[in-house]
Amino acid sequence: MKQFSKILKFELKNYCKNKIFIGVTLFLVIAIAVLMFIPNLAAFFSSEEAQPSEGTPASVMLVCAEDAELAALVQSSFAAAFPDYEVKLAAGGAEDAKAQIVSGEAECAFVMDTAASYTYYVNNLSMYDTNCTVADTVLQEVYRTTAMVASGMTPEQAGEILSVQVESRTEALGKDQMENFFYTYIMIFALYMVILLYGQMVATNVATEKSSRAMELLITSANPTAMMFGKVLASCIAGLIQLTAVFGSAVLFYQINRSAWGDNEIIASIFNIPLPLFIFLLVFFVLGFLIYAFLYGAIGSTASKLEDINTSVMPITFLFIIAFMVVVLSMTSGNTDSILIKVCSYIPFTSPMAMFTRICMSTVPWYEIAVSIAILIGSTVGIGILSAKIYRVGVLLYGTPPKPAAILKAVWKA
Amino acid sequence: MRLELADIEKSFGEKRVLKGVSFTADGGKAFGLLGRNGAGKTTSIRILMNVFPADGGEIRIDGIPIDYRKIRFGYLPEERGLYPKKPVIDQLVYFAELKGMNRTDAIKAVDYWLKRLEMSEYRGKRLDTLSKGNQQKIQLVTALAHDPEIVILDEPFSGLDPVNAMLLKNVVKEQITRGKIVLFSSHQMNYIEEFCDSIGIIHDGKVAICGDLRDIKRDYPRDRLVVAAQNPEPIRADFGDACTVCEDGALLIRLDCPDRKQEVMKRLVERYDVDEIKVFEPSLNDIFIEYTGEQR
Repeated sequence: MKQFSKILKFELKNYCKNKIFIGVTLFLVIAIAVLMFIPNLAAFFSSEEAQPSEGTPASVMLVCAEDAELAALVQSSFAAAFPDYEVKLAAGGAEDAKAQIVSGEAECAFVMDTAASYTYYVNNLSMYDTNCTVADTVLQEVYRTTAMVASGMTPEQAGEILSVQVESRTEALGKDQMENFFYTYIMIFALYMVILLYGQMVATNVATEKSSRAMELLITSANPTAMMFGKVLASCIAGLIQLTAVFGSAVLFYQINRSAWGDNEIIASIFNIPLPLFIFLLVFFVLGFLIYAFLYGAIGSTASKLEDINTSVMPITFLFIIAFMVVVLSMTSGNTDSILIKVCSYIPFTSPMAMFTRICMSTVPWYEIAVSIAILIGSTVGIGILSAKIYRVGVLLYGTPPKPAAILKAVWKA
Repeated sequence: MRLELADIEKSFGEKRVLKGVSFTADGGKAFGLLGRNGAGKTTSIRILMNVFPADGGEIRIDGIPIDYRKIRFGYLPEERGLYPKKPVIDQLVYFAELKGMNRTDAIKAVDYWLKRLEMSEYRGKRLDTLSKGNQQKIQLVTALAHDPEIVILDEPFSGLDPVNAMLLKNVVKEQITRGKIVLFSSHQMNYIEEFCDSIGIIHDGKVAICGDLRDIKRDYPRDRLVVAAQNPEPIRADFGDACTVCEDGALLIRLDCPDRKQEVMKRLVERYDVDEIKVFEPSLNDIFIEYTGEQR
């Protein structure tokens, strides 16, 4: 126990003195700060840019139709629907309109065949060109109003019928997926990033000690179980410190810029995570982190050279990516109660993400959560002890990395 | 204190690495553990230090099975290595703490040893900025700072200049006088002969020979004479195939009948101009080759 705390302290100090660790944390905090100040910055720049733009003339939109009455009707409706354009009638028909667009006098043109059919001409069709969508809505309304008036209604009656609004209220009795989606997604993603990053760090750390031969001395000075648990817990604490710094600064900067974000529901929902969910998040985060970090540490101990690490950790990384994909696909499809994700929420390697997603986005009975956490705790301790044994055998093996079966056999015998 | 390894067996997979290794080492003396590369020395040391358990056999201290909570080991591994990117003092204190010292004592002990080995100026330097010999001295501190009862030194003199070797010799001698068990593993036979009262030669997973070095030498068959002469040619002609020339030019004469040693010596003195005649006593090197060479 004494050795464990010494190792934990030593490893933690290494993280805190590591320039890359400090650099990445600072970078993330600054990035978050910039992100959180975006509405303020945007407002600042747009207020400066707004003045000169008023003086510039509006773009020209041409309307032409063989039926002069239709042309006038469309022109007046479009003038109201496109406040950014100066809507003009094209006197010379379709050819004249096209010529004007090519020469740059006009930006676009609507050439009406009938009241419900047109051709839209534009020089370069922008990805964000929504003129047709707006025009469709306007023309539909014009067509309906005209038809209703023709069949004997007054324009007022027609207008009333067309503008009727349906009132509705939605109340989620279980979970509101929309509200929980974003922070679930962010947390799952944070878990994914941190486990991959720190798992690799633990593996590299062990392999470095082995390749620098510091291991020869370590293994004769300290108990391998204390070594493994000390290293992995230190990386877990370092990970939590980093996340606290990043998310803590996010909350801080959000509070500062709260008014600027106004009623942006996505951002608000992220910061309004309920306390019980936050506690579940912590539990699953720590356990998920530990179980993978133990595996990474064990793998690191079997590699003789640092270059071998990347290939050695591949199976674990794949396992983890598959778990992540399953959870994210279930989340985005909105089906968080499928058999697949239910099964995944009990398997130790997938349950941290799967069960957390289910808790956030669906209603899960307490006993299911308890069983999932119990399995996870049990297997984390089990994997921890197993990885310490692999470590004890692995660190003294030099040369080509041994096959998994050979390691397990050696562990079994040891 | 007396350390005994009794019938230690160890296999890795199908390969039997140790086939019943036994030896005894006493406190206040140095024990030389010899053997060719891959003979099983490092495996024996690792089993002794409880890195992994033996398949069979027992390790005893004063006749009682060893209690690893009570006995502290100091180890200088043959494969040297610490944390290259960390300051010297940080890692030395860390290792001393891992061996059970509290922080204050660890710092005190490390500072004492750094001074003793003339390394105090490197206290705060990163290890990889030090020369190889200095790194080796730093590594020696990890073996000694926690004042272990059993000190295991694997090739301690490799890479040291004569001045540093002298420094290390004094340190080793001091450890011996303080009553510690010093296990010495090296291929530099002169150092073993200088320090070790007893030796054990491991060959092919077994102890080929073990015991007091003087006794081993004394028990060696006294059937050869070393003869130094200004003009060796007539002697060579006289003794024929029984006579060989040593590296230093002296003649080595094998006796068919060792009991008649005196007669042969008398004959040599009477007939030839001989500078020196003595009975051949093997060096440790000769013994080592004899017990570990291919012919065995």
